[in-house]
Order: sequence, then C-alpha cells, then structure tokens
Amino acid sequence: MTVGNVFDPVFETVRSGEPILKVRGLGVDFSVDGSWVMASEDVEFDINPGEVLAVVGESGSGKSVSAMSILGLLPQNARVSGSATLLGRELIGVREPMLRAVRGKEIGLIFQEPMTALNPVLTVGFQINEMLLSHFDMTPDESRRRVIELMKLVDLPDPEKRFDLYPHQLSGGQRQRVMIAMALACDPVLLIADEPTTALDVTVQAEILDLLRDLHHRLDSAILLITHDMGVVADLADRVVVMQNGHIVETGPAQELFTYPQNAYTQDLLAAVPHLGSEIADAATPDGRDDRPTDWALEVVDLVLEYPGRGRVPPFRAVDGVSFKVPQGEILGLVGESGSGKSTIGRAVASLLPITDGSIKIAGRDIKGLSQRDLMPMRRKVAIVFQDPASSLNPRMTIGESIGEPLFLHEKLRKGALAGRVEKLLDSVRLRRDYRYRYPHELSGGQRQRVGIARALSLGPDLLVADEPTSALDVSVQAHVLELFKDLQEQYVFACLFISHDLAVVEILAKQIAVLHRGQLAEIGSRERILRDPQDPYTRRLLAAAPVPDPAEQAIRREGRRALLAAGADPDDDVATA
Amino acid sequence: MMAQDIENEPERIPPDNVPSTELEMATFVGIDNELAETGMGPPVGSAPMAAKTEFRIVAKRFFRHKAARAGLIVLALIILLAFSSIGFGPIPGWWKYDYTEFEPTLTDGGAPTLSIFPPAWGDHPFGQSNEGRDYFALTMRGLQQSLIIAFIVGIVSTIVGTVIGAVSGYFRGRIESVLMRFTDVMITIPLLAIAAVIAGQIGGSGIVGLGVLLGLVTWTSLARIVRGEFLSLREKEFVDAARSVGASSRRIIFRHILPNTVGVITVSATLAISGAILLETALSFLNFGVKSPDISLGLLLQQYRQAMDVRPYLFWWPGVFIVLISLSVNFIGDGLRDAFDPRQTRAKA
Amino acid sequence: MLVFVTRRLVVSFFILLASTALTFFLVAYSGNPLQDLLELRGPQRDAKVAARTQSLHLDQPVWIRYLLWLQDVGRCLSPFGGPCTLGSDRNGGAVLPQLQTAIGSTLRLVVVATILALILGVVTGIVTALRQYSTFDYGVTFVAFLCFSLPVFWISTLLKQYVAIDLNTWLNNPTMTTAGLVILGVVVGALWALVIGGDRRRVLIVFATAALATISVMYVLLVTDFFREPYFGILGIAVFGVAAAVGWSALFAGLHRRGRSVLISAVTTAVAGAVIALLLRTVIAEGDWLVILLVTLGLIAVGLLAGYLLGRPTQRLAMRVSALTGVTVALLVVVDQLLRAYPALFQATGGRPIKTTGSATPNLEVDFWATQLDSLMYLILPTLALMLASFALYTRYTRASMLDVMGQDYVRTARAKGLNNRTVVVRHAFRNALIPLATLMAFDFAAIFSGAIVTETVFGWSGMGKLFTTSLSNIDPNPVMAFFLVSATAIVLFNMLADIAYAYLDPRIRLA
Repeated sequence: MTVGNVFDPVFETVRSGEPILKVRGLGVDFSVDGSWVMASEDVEFDINPGEVLAVVGESGSGKSVSAMSILGLLPQNARVSGSATLLGRELIGVREPMLRAVRGKEIGLIFQEPMTALNPVLTVGFQINEMLLSHFDMTPDESRRRVIELMKLVDLPDPEKRFDLYPHQLSGGQRQRVMIAMALACDPVLLIADEPTTALDVTVQAEILDLLRDLHHRLDSAILLITHDMGVVADLADRVVVMQNGHIVETGPAQELFTYPQNAYTQDLLAAVPHLGSEIADAATPDGRDDRPTDWALEVVDLVLEYPGRGRVPPFRAVDGVSFKVPQGEILGLVGESGSGKSTIGRAVASLLPITDGSIKIAGRDIKGLSQRDLMPMRRKVAIVFQDPASSLNPRMTIGESIGEPLFLHEKLRKGALAGRVEKLLDSVRLRRDYRYRYPHELSGGQRQRVGIARALSLGPDLLVADEPTSALDVSVQAHVLELFKDLQEQYVFACLFISHDLAVVEILAKQIAVLHRGQLAEIGSRERILRDPQDPYTRRLLAAAPVPDPAEQAIRREGRRALLAAGADPDDDVATA
Repeated sequence: MMAQDIENEPERIPPDNVPSTELEMATFVGIDNELAETGMGPPVGSAPMAAKTEFRIVAKRFFRHKAARAGLIVLALIILLAFSSIGFGPIPGWWKYDYTEFEPTLTDGGAPTLSIFPPAWGDHPFGQSNEGRDYFALTMRGLQQSLIIAFIVGIVSTIVGTVIGAVSGYFRGRIESVLMRFTDVMITIPLLAIAAVIAGQIGGSGIVGLGVLLGLVTWTSLARIVRGEFLSLREKEFVDAARSVGASSRRIIFRHILPNTVGVITVSATLAISGAILLETALSFLNFGVKSPDISLGLLLQQYRQAMDVRPYLFWWPGVFIVLISLSVNFIGDGLRDAFDPRQTRAKA
Repeated sequence: MLVFVTRRLVVSFFILLASTALTFFLVAYSGNPLQDLLELRGPQRDAKVAARTQSLHLDQPVWIRYLLWLQDVGRCLSPFGGPCTLGSDRNGGAVLPQLQTAIGSTLRLVVVATILALILGVVTGIVTALRQYSTFDYGVTFVAFLCFSLPVFWISTLLKQYVAIDLNTWLNNPTMTTAGLVILGVVVGALWALVIGGDRRRVLIVFATAALATISVMYVLLVTDFFREPYFGILGIAVFGVAAAVGWSALFAGLHRRGRSVLISAVTTAVAGAVIALLLRTVIAEGDWLVILLVTLGLIAVGLLAGYLLGRPTQRLAMRVSALTGVTVALLVVVDQLLRAYPALFQATGGRPIKTTGSATPNLEVDFWATQLDSLMYLILPTLALMLASFALYTRYTRASMLDVMGQDYVRTARAKGLNNRTVVVRHAFRNALIPLATLMAFDFAAIFSGAIVTETVFGWSGMGKLFTTSLSNIDPNPVMAFFLVSATAIVLFNMLADIAYAYLDPRIRLA
C-alpha cells in the first residue's frame, strides 16, 4: 500500500506502537553578537506512528527552530542540546553522514514558501528524482516512473508534462504539491511540515490539507505539523503542543485542548483566534436592502482598474466592473483571495491608482480624473491603513512626525498645536504619549499598526480603507488591534472599507460583506446572509474552505466542503502563473 | 544593462535577500551576508534605519570595523601631511622646501636621505628629482592635486548621479528609459578613453575644471544604484501613505525616500572617490590629465618611469601614496557599507 | 531563445550606433586637427591645411562627418562595399591597415586577461564563500582590496622591473638552495592548509603533505633540468590527464557508487587521449591552429563516445565530464608542445624568456610552437597586471553571490533531502550563484579595455592602446574613432554573450 516496493524492517517497529520520535529536553540557542540567546528550551514530546502532532505558537515561540534542530538544519551559529530519537536512534549531535542517511529517507520535510524552497534552475521532476537517486539504487527509467507515480499521488495534473517544467511555471498550490511529493518520495516514517499552507490562498490551503490528510491515512506516516494557524491545527492534528517564548506550555489531544484549554496562554490564544460564525451566532439575518440611506460614504460604480502594459506585456485588468456602496459610518468587508483585486480597489479608493473606467464617489464627489489640486480636499476624507507594519512607517521619521504629517500638510499645523493633536491621537490608539519621539524600529508590529491607524484618523476622515491591517500580525496582537479598531469606529463613526482574505476577521467588524473573485464581484450582502446563506458558488467554496479552530466543527465543515465540491462546482483550477 | 532591459523583459523583482546588483558592482566589496549565515528562511526584508539615533549606531558600527578605522586614520594623516607640509594657497607649510625650488647640483646623486636606523629625516627624505627639486615636496604637491581632483570628482559624480538616479527611479517613464539607454551606451565606452578625450578639451583651466569634467563622465554607475534604491523604496507602503495624504512628489523624494538612501549614496560616493584617484593618476600618466608644469602623482610616475633601474625610489613614493589613499578609501567604504547594512538576524521561530 | 538573441542583436546594433555617434562628437570637439599645421610658416602651409581639411572633411559640419565615417565603416562591413579605409589619419594614410596590425595583440591581451580573471576569480570566490571567515578568506579579502587599489601602470612597471628581470636571471641559471626549497615547500604547504582548512589534525596533514610534495617535485624538476628543457612527454600527459579525469569526476559526480561509471569513462578518455597524442605526435609537432582545433574536437568526440558507451546509468553526465576531460587532455598536449619549444626560443631570443617590451619578437625564425610560446611570453606580464583588478572584483562578487545563495531556502531543502555537501554546492548553489555574475561581466570588460590602454603603454605594445594615445595626442580623429569602434563592438558582443549565458543559466528568463 505504500509508494514503491521498499521493504524496510522499520515498518515492523512502526506496527509495534512505540513512538516514532521521542524528543526530550531539546534546547536551541543562537549566538548573536557574542552571547547566547535562547530560542527554545526543554522541549519534550512524542510522536506515535500514524499520528499528526501539531506544534503551535506565535512568532518567537521556538516551534520552527525546534523542529529544524531535529534534522540538524540550523545555521552555523546555533547550538542544540538534548535528545531526539527516531525509532531508537539518536539524532542530536551525530555526525553529518548519519544525519544525511535520515534526512529525506526517514524524515521528509515540507517547507513554507514553495517558490523559494524549490531550486529555480532545475526542473521539478529532476528535483524529485534527485531524492530517489540519492537514497536508492535505481536506474533512471525506474526512478522516472516512480516520480510520475509520486506526482499522480499528490494530484498534480498531467505529470508527464509537469516533470520538465520549472518551479516558476507552476502555481503556488502546485509547487507545494511538488514539495510534498519530494518529501514522500522515499516513503519516510515521519513528515515534518513547517507552515505548509501559510503562503497559500484559503481555497488552495484547503486542498493541500485534504491532500495531507489523505496521504497520511494512505501511507501511514506520522506528521509533525508546525503552524501558527489554529484552524489548520483543528483540521489536521490529533495532538497539539503549544509553545510560547521557547517553552512548551501545554500538550494534549486536539479536541480536548480546544474545548478545555488548561494553560492561561493557551486560553488567551484560543480566545484571540477569530472563529468563523461565532459573531453572527446570535444575530438575526437582516432583510434585504430597503430604505437605504442616501448618504453614502463611498459609491463604486462599474469600476474598472487596469495595470498598463509595458512593452510586450499586455495590460492587466485587475478589477472588471465592480459596484458597491458603503453607507456613512458603516463597515463593508471586502473579501477575496490573491489576485481578486481587493487591494487594487482599496488603493484606487485612496487615490493611489488611476481609474481606468467607472467611477468612485467619495461623499458624493467622483474622484475619477481629478487633478492633484482638486484631489487635495478629497484626501482629507479618505485615509488608508496598510498591511505591513515593517514598511508602512518611514524609518527615518519619528512616530510623531509620521502621525502628524497629514495634519502638517492639510491643516498647516506646527509645533505646539501639532504636538497636541498628535498626543491626543496617541491616546486614542492607547499608546503612550512619549512614543512620539521614538522611531518605528523601536516599536513592535502591533504598536506600529496602531500608529498607522492613528495617522489615518488624524484628519477625521469620512472613510477609512483598511488594507489587510492585521494580516501580518500574530494572532493575539491581531485580536487587540481589531478590538481597538472596533472601538475607534464606534467612537469616531467613520465608514470603513475593510479588506481582508480572512472571513473570520471580517466577520468581527463588518456589517456588509462583498466577495471578490478575479476582479469581479461574486456576491454582496449583509454579513449574516453571506456567512449563513451564500448564493454564489465561489462564495460557497470560499466559506467552505476556511477552517475553524474547533476540531469537531471542522470535521463537519470538511464533510460539507467535500459534498459541495462533489456536487459539481469545480475547484479553482490551479492555473500556472506566468 | 541590456539584460535588464525593462521594457522588453517581464518585470523581475528580486526577492529582498538578493544583493542589489549595482550596489555590489560599485562597491566591489560584496556583502558579508550574515543573513546567509543564519539561513533562517527568508530573511526579514532590509528595513533602513531611523535617523537621529542611527548616526550614533552607524558610527559605532563603523568604528568597530578595524580596517575602516585604520583606513580613516591613514587617510586623515595623509591629507594632513599633504596640505600642511608644503602649505596650500596662502597658508605656509612647515616643510623647508617648496616644490618649485631647484638645486642646481644634486646632493648625493639625488638619493633619499631618509634612514630608519638611526632614525633621521635628512635633507631630502624622498630624494631629489632630476632637476634638483625636493622630491618630498613634489610628492606632497602631487598628493594635494590628486586629492582635490578626487574629491571634486566624487562630489560632482555623486550629485549628478543622485539627481538623475532619483528622477529616473521615481518618475520612471520616459526619463527612466532615456537613462537606461544612455547607461547602456556608456557601458560600451571605456572610461579611461573617454576621459582622455574630454580632458583634452579643458586644457589649462586647472584641476577644478578637470575634476568637474571627470565627474561628468563617472556618474553612470552611481545613478544606476540610486535608481535601484528609488525603485524599491517607492513601492514601500510609507511612500503610499504619504501619497494618499497628498504629499507632493518633491516632498516624497526629499523627505521620505532620499533620507533612506543616505547609506547607499555615502558608500557609493566613497568608492567613487577611490575610483577617481586611480582614474586621474592613470590619465596623468598617459599625459591626458594634469599636465606639466602642474604636478600630479600620475605625472610623476610617468616622468620617472625610466629611472626605475637607477633610482627606483622616485618611482616608489608616489605609487605607494596612491595605493595607500585608494586602499584607505576602499576600507572606509567597506566599513560604511557594513555600518549602514542592517543586520537583522532575528531568529524566526 | 532565438527571439531573445535576435532582439539582443537589434538592440545591440542601435547601441553601437549611439555609442559611435557620441564618441565621434566628443572626439570632434576635443581639439583642432589642424592645430599643428597652423603653427607652420611657409608656402607649404596652406596647401597642407587644405589637403588635410579635405581628407578629414573638416569643412563639413560634424554630423556630416559622422555620416561619412559611418558610410566608410559600412563599406568595410559589407562584402559589396568596395575598398574601405575607415577614414584617413591626419597624414592621409588609411586607418584600416594600422588597425589590422594593432587589433590582434590587443584583443589577445584583453580576452586572455578576461578569461583568466573570470575563471580564477570565480573559483576563488566560491572557495572563500565556502570558507567564510577563515584565515584564507580574510587573506583573500585583503589581497582583493589591495588589487582594487593598485594603479595598473604602477603595478605594470613594478612587474616589469622586478619580476621580469629577476625571474629572467633565475631562468638563466635555475638552481635553488636547500633553504630555498624548504621555504618554498613551507609556503606552498601553508597555502594549501589555509585553503582546505578544517580541524587541527587535517590542517597539519594537508600542510605536511603539500610541503613534502612541493619540495620533492621541485627537487626532481631541478635535478632533471626541467627549467632548461621542459617537457612532459606522453607519460606526463597520461598521468596528468588521468589526474584531471579523477578530479573532474570527483567534482561533478562524486567518487562513490553512482559516480563510478563517470570516473571510468573519464579515465578512459584520458588514456585514449594520451594514446592519440602519441600516435599523432609528428603531426602535432608540425602543427598549426587547425591541428589544435581538430585534436581538441577529436578528443571531445572521444570523450562523448566514452561517456555514451561506458557511462551507464548516468550517461549524460558521463558524456559531459568525459568531454571536459578530453578538453583538458588537449590542453595538456598543447602545453607539452609549447614547453618543448622553450629551449629553441630561449636560444633565439638571447636568454631572456620573459619579455617586457613589445608584443612579439621580430624576425623570429622558429617553428609554429615556438612562435606561439614567444607570444605567450610577451603576454604573461601585461595580462597579469591587467587582470588583477578584475580578478579581485570577480572574487568578491562571486563570494557575495555564493553566500547569498547558500542562505537560500532551496539550499536548505537540498540539505533536507539528504544530499551530500558536494552535491548541494555544485548542483544547487553553484549555478544560481553564477546568474548575477553575467551582469558584472559587462561592466568589467569595458574596464579591461581601459586598463589595456595603460598596460600597452607601459609594456611598449603597438596595439590599439598605442594607436589611441598617439592619435589622441596628435588630435587625429579617425584612428581614435577606430579604437572606439573596435572597443564598442567587442564590448557589445561580449555583453551579448553574457546575456545569452544569463538566459541559459536562468530558466526564468528563458521561459518567462
């Protein structure tokens, strides 16, 4: 039943029920600027045959580092202590040749970013092949056949053709499948998957998770899953290990951990994860659109946005005929996957992109074709909050200067008056006033996002565009920022175009939801209706693919998704990107 | 560069951790990539550092770099020596001879009177030239000229390069195409040759004129580097944030982007200076740069090339100084590059 | 791919056009070609002025002169154009013949310097990257900085003075004291130890082995009077050929089970090559360029054949490695012949083998190999001086690129697959590290031309550099333009090669 005909006495051990991997007292330190910094300490867990163990944590928890240390894949300045035994054989501290025999052959590895994890100058077929040839004695024909078999196993369409393609010619999902095929090539007893779906769209993620589960059952290999996404954990894991700041804080079977978390950190973590369907649980479904106010903060009519072609590259139509309206003081969630055009719309609304066709009316006035001068008063009404805290603030300007720039430009405030307003804004985003003398690199990601929000609110805009404002933040930080956002919106009553790929996050804030798919509006309606009773097939698929942090519920959703896909809606084609 | 013909090739945006091609070429010194050392997944994208405290941090890092420290000291000493010893302009020097004084008969065949043991400076530590001039004074004068020219070239090419690079990198469009084409054409012309052609035109308008002209042919690589920086910086979200608030292009360029390119520009300027010294001395050596009766290190080397057999020291001294200056500036540039280069080795868990 | 090349050709053509236009205008304004004539007195003066004005078209506006010049160039390029001169110099002579004599030596110098700098630089760069922060790395870094800071004309003169003269003197009477031998051994041993690195034990072993090997080899060479009558012989070719075969196999295929067939086919090629060399030795001894080419091609064919027949299961790799071995053996054969020609050359050139002035010995009456050796002797010092800065540049750049690549995810993936270090470096890292290098090559080649001008002046070559400097001082525009034309064409061609290499290496460009 396994791939290939490798008869390995290892299987006998596997059957006997002993843990495949025993980790005891594992610790990793890094040498930074001369001193040792602890990355993880006293890590201990077992992986039983055929089990999926998830190691969960936010950034800095030490989860990735611990997993990589098992195979000795840490950089030169790392120091590993403790023990990790694979079927009785110690792996920590052994010499390279022994480790090499284990890597790939007994432990397969799947990495996070399939684009960078695959060598761009070698064909995908070659890279899988190489795995086989280096561990087994096979003729080129045999190994090629095996590779095709493997590619079929991971549901790669047209394996013969795909064999000779290069990584950049495949889509993200396909590349990840190649990585999985590579990891499984030698039929390892253990698969280590390091954030395998983090870089993928939700629908693609669901497919890859399906694949992993399927393979896991068929091939009986254990999986060590490293992730920060509780939804993924709920979908896949049998047991969970929670790490914080380099230590394990809790271990347990998945369902138990989710329902009765013991440790305070785990509880906080689970509470912070947006749970799709939880906000609207008690709300009634509002009726259809009637007696709408005529006071729109934002009116988008038949919007077309195109990126101009360059040379031989044809122009790319990112948004094709989208219309929606946002009433004053309300939040509209704009949801979509990558390539849907949601960010493009956000930027166009903030006058950062020229409008190709259609109109965008802000507080009644169309901004299409306005000159820079005429646009100035409009800019007061719209503000934008960006996604990446690392690059949304000028590293060379103090926080105060960044926040105060809009005031400086529009209201011509200086010195004292400016300082006063900046301080009030810092208060409103719950940051200390003296932060205005600091520089962005001195603040954490969450703090920087708050500064971004303060800057956006400085001119009292009618409309706020929030472009994935929390996507780059850790889950617990995200929860706080979302809460702050909600409070601010209630306090200042601004309309908001909240852009996100995460339906659960949107659910927390938005009253209306619009779903975008490849530049077109798939569906729009109230939050409750969209989440409870989606009509459009894409919306349904999107909804079905989003995982929830509850294993039991997730299992039910999985079945639902399977039914949905079987019912005939074809899953998104993994189109090869150019 | 034809391989980066933007119009006709699909846009290739390098990932954050690819060394910026042009920066590497101008710096010649490569990246001591600590990020490569840690190898922890995709490194955090290079975030340029903040201003005020940065100067202290950068200075601290710079002075930790041993070679850069040494280079700075050596360069300072040489500059001090060159300008104070024989004086400059109206300011007199402490050295007894001027480079214009002759001695009709050569003392001791013009041999250097410098000795290590017992340590003595002697009358003519570097010896005497064929016409009896004190060689030390001559060398110092040559040093002055070469240093002045090098700095002027550095400044001119930095200014021109920065302006053109900034404009083409920020505004893109036609200006950028023109710049790229122009750079492609400039690549096909050997620098020394075109410098020789141009330098001939100024004739006797002095070293400042020569410096300016040379600066006008050496800006292309700096422009490319600045353009590269502007291209990447203008995509950053803080620029978008400023634009969305209505900041003018002028404000964005000067207040937002340019301050973040200071590191790159400084390093490139430093290396432009070192390249300038080598260029000018080579030009003078070929008799196209500084011409007699004016003095340059390159000119001295050309004049005394034949004397190698008999009086090699005449050939050594100017050359050693050129090497020392160039080496020091290169080390300083390397130190600056290290100091500005953000080393974010945050171990990702 | 073909589209790519064609597009490059078209773009290159226009760039050449723009380049020559720019230089033409700058040269035209750089001075007055009539200047020296205007200072004359006497009846001849006006006639001369008129003559020169006419031949250089000085009565026409500059852009017309450019077009006329272009027309002449066009005539040179097209087979139907009739006789062409590339303009005339100020004395009325045609430029083209002057160019033809000058171009050979300069191109030789420039190409050899570039190739050497590239190969040595890349290899050193890779080794220092793999041995980052080792003593060797620091040492190479310092040497690189030094090379950047050396003025070409200064180092050339120094080389001329010290290396040439002293080495020549030594070659006249090659002996070495015991002390000298020991010192040599120690130095070489130390170098190898630094390069290979490792723990204490390994360093000492490497040091001892290398030192002893060097001393014994040197001793044998001295005793057999190698430095007066050098040659390998077929035995030498066979031995070194096999060593090369083993080396290439070890590098590209590894020496364990999978690599065995590659090793066998490579070694077979080496031996076959030696045998062929033996059989053809009279033909080779008479030799000329055609013979060399045929022998090389033949050896490559032998390699391919050996790989095909013996190289299962990794045929393609075996064929490539064996072909590489074939090329190496051909190189050995050439070197052997050149060495054999040494004594004759020594005699004919009066006992000073390493040359410092000029590019070829005039009136040399010796056979083909000796003539080639002669050119080589003239080439040594100028090439060395010229390639130093480029070598340093390539080293640093390759190092940076290699380090960056080694830190990439896909290298980590390769390790995670259980591949050994050699495979990771050679198969995964190396090719990716080379990709950015293509861009560098373009910039560097132009710099080498600049350096060549200076080097030729110092070493007294009558090449393009001399043509350029003399004509420019004389304010003689057409020969100067000839220089710019040739250099621009060479650079453009080289860039195209680099672009093609770039596209070949990076499938993302090839198959966008």
